[in-house]
Amino acid sequence: MARDRGMLRLVVTRMSRESAGIVSIELADATGRPLPAWEPGAHIDVQLITRMQRQYSLCGDPADLRSYRIAVLREDFSRGVSMYVHDFLHVGSVVHVRPPRNLFPVLPASEYLLLAAGIGITPLLPMARSLSRARAPWAMNYAVRDEANLPFASELESLGPAVTINAPGRAGRLDLAALLAAPHPGLGVYACGPARFIDGVVDAMGHWPSGSLHLERFEPKPVVALPNAPFTVHCARSNLDVEVPAERTMLQAITDVDLPVTGSCLRGVCGSCAVRVLDGEVEHRDSLTTDPDSRVMYPCVSRARAARLTIDV
Amino acid sequence: MASRFAALTEAEVRASLGEIEKPTTDKILDHLDRSCLTFLAHSPFCCLSTSDSAGNCDCSPRGDYPGFVRALDDRTLVLPDRLGNRLADSFTNILDNGHVGLLCFVPGMIETLRINGSAYVTNDPSLMAMLEQDHVVPQLATVIEVEQAYLHCGRALLRSRLWDDEMHDLATEVPSAGTMWAEASGLDADVARAIDEASVAGYKTLY
Repeated sequence: MARDRGMLRLVVTRMSRESAGIVSIELADATGRPLPAWEPGAHIDVQLITRMQRQYSLCGDPADLRSYRIAVLREDFSRGVSMYVHDFLHVGSVVHVRPPRNLFPVLPASEYLLLAAGIGITPLLPMARSLSRARAPWAMNYAVRDEANLPFASELESLGPAVTINAPGRAGRLDLAALLAAPHPGLGVYACGPARFIDGVVDAMGHWPSGSLHLERFEPKPVVALPNAPFTVHCARSNLDVEVPAERTMLQAITDVDLPVTGSCLRGVCGSCAVRVLDGEVEHRDSLTTDPDSRVMYPCVSRARAARLTIDV
Repeated sequence: MASRFAALTEAEVRASLGEIEKPTTDKILDHLDRSCLTFLAHSPFCCLSTSDSAGNCDCSPRGDYPGFVRALDDRTLVLPDRLGNRLADSFTNILDNGHVGLLCFVPGMIETLRINGSAYVTNDPSLMAMLEQDHVVPQLATVIEVEQAYLHCGRALLRSRLWDDEMHDLATEVPSAGTMWAEASGLDADVARAIDEASVAGYKTLY
């Protein structure tokens, strides 16, 4: 992946093992310059020296602009980044980082429930800290396999009794159906974790008021997609027609002609490639869109429903 | 067939070169050590040598994001099959004779990593998912069981000045891919130009 202008060149200043499979990494400007500010829920795109990149939630303290902290899980079948981070990244390694973006912001609510599983703790840790500082009513349930797989144990401890660790020998298994049985209007639920956990939360909250649940997915949600058909994208601002063949994504087609749209996850989860749709019907195949009539589309996965689409590019 | 020039025997070649020094053979590993793994993790390019059971050879370039020759452990590598010319010379050879040789490069580094082993072709779904790149999951991959691994000294790359920027001038004197293709296929210069123009578009599809 090419490096775009606007990427920050940062160095690894610290690496700490947080659990059996998770390592945390602190990144800072080599000259000590302060980093762009962020709010809990924000993530950064991290590009390694291998030019592979992934999104990671910031899990440090938003008040500390000297460094960003991320945490990376070792995956058994890593597509390359998790493996590289665990096996080859070291203090002093240079990485390129796109400044923080927040697709998982904390919105005003009367109370908050944070639900995390595994590596999904990362965006929720700064949320918990800031809710605690703001003296907002909040609670967290954090499900992990066992004690060896519990990262940030002392930080979670320091957040006090609002945090329940669901693990053997702690509070036991997290029963989402029981926890979420009674809808609680005014309660904002923030969930992050592996696909199966997220699906469990979505299922358990089917009868809750809409807008109660806020999600961050790491993996694309399963989408039943129509067969790929070719279509034409009219890029209104550039006054250019771009043909999208069936076997190419719309993002590939528009970047082939050097239009300024940048993808990152290429799986419809990160939101980097968002474009505004001016005309035409969209088949949303991403994991971010909740309104099927949304006029924002993610061309790394989504396509036109008909022969033609007009976008504001 | 009689050779055009004197073809030496092994004894004659050995007499000319002198004996191998022990440190040279000692550095040949039967597995990938930490340095080899680090080399591979930063290598975006290699040449894959294969031959059929009759000994007919092919050597084919492979390139991708650094680390694309993935070590599953210190004796096993996996190499994704990306979009190419579909001649499948390497696969055909591997299916006939599993012995392969890899020569791996890291840009800017003069030493190269040589790996020999035996290979087979797979489409194991979890491996294919792991080898996804730019939205595309490969259909096939080559698994290599490592038998020998060692760093080859840098003299060849030093003498060739392979990584020097000024060496890029050389490419301007070589016929374009379209010209070479058209000439080899007995086609005229218009076709050569058309092939070159089509390649500009075609090369945008890398996966």
